[in-house]
Amino acid sequence: MMTPEALDVFSDEEKDILQEIMNIAFGNATADLADVVDIYVKLSVPSVQVIGIGDLPEYLKTTIKTDGTSNIIEQKFWGNFKGSGLLVFPGGTERDLMAILEDQDREEVASTQMATLEKGGLLEIGNILIGACVGKVSELLDTFVTYSPPQVLQGDTHNCNFIVEQFDPSQTAIVMKTLFTFKEKDINGFLLILTNHESIGWLRKALKNFMDSYE
Amino acid sequence: MINKILIVDDSPVARRMLRTSIPKDKGYEIFEASNGQDGVEKYQELKPDVVFMDLTMPVLDGYQATAKIRELDKNATVIVTTADIQPKSIASVMELGAFTLLKKPAKAESIKEALSKVEMKLKKLRENK
Repeated sequence: MMTPEALDVFSDEEKDILQEIMNIAFGNATADLADVVDIYVKLSVPSVQVIGIGDLPEYLKTTIKTDGTSNIIEQKFWGNFKGSGLLVFPGGTERDLMAILEDQDREEVASTQMATLEKGGLLEIGNILIGACVGKVSELLDTFVTYSPPQVLQGDTHNCNFIVEQFDPSQTAIVMKTLFTFKEKDINGFLLILTNHESIGWLRKALKNFMDSYE
Repeated sequence: MINKILIVDDSPVARRMLRTSIPKDKGYEIFEASNGQDGVEKYQELKPDVVFMDLTMPVLDGYQATAKIRELDKNATVIVTTADIQPKSIASVMELGAFTLLKKPAKAESIKEALSKVEMKLKKLRENK
């Protein structure tokens, strides 16, 4: 468990700036998705939290509260701004998500092919939303990042340790979270951007520069 | 002529960004509201000439607040400033009677241009009275 002082890495103002940047970035990402598919995404107000890495599995377990399984699409990014984007949907929504991207008669597709298609659909949605969101955050903060290919993590949400293995357990994670709903399909999901201690110094400076441009 | 401007946004940072991007040489009086409900109440109290309205807000969102303000005053001028630039969001809020929509972060130039258009609208309204 981190001490309150260790978690106090951002001022309230810095958190507000990050929250607004996340709001702008996710709004842009959903518009990018709407360019590709006919879907309307209802957005919510994003939140920014600083969490001890040791507490992250518990946070994810509590946050990803579904019927026990979730579809998690993860995409890592590197640069001054470094971390992971996680797009989380409830388990069992794969077919509806794929239907957003594909307009084909799914009855004619064999179940083995279906699993591949569903995974492809999840990856594509993840790639668009995570990539566009992280990309916009980077653009607003005047930097650039490179990405790993997205991967689908399906399974038991009670074991989220695999997500935090990339972080030093003595450090903190900045968790930017946005809830959303795919209206037509009534699917709720959320996007988390996790970034670790290494990015904090750079991030504070970038946030200051961002706001200075509005003075 | 524009005298009073009301900025409705739950983010203090977004309000500050907008406030600093509004032309300073016009002597506008600028007021702020922190959510849609607060915005509707301040609209009734202050009767601003222009409202800058965010869409994604707690308590009452920008769609509902725009509709309420337009119900209170059919000539109300609401400029939507939002990150939600999906075609369906834009169409919905324009149907509610928004004057125009600016993508966040709104640039000083586009704010100035939008305010010039509001000035023209207000001038026409005065002439038609």
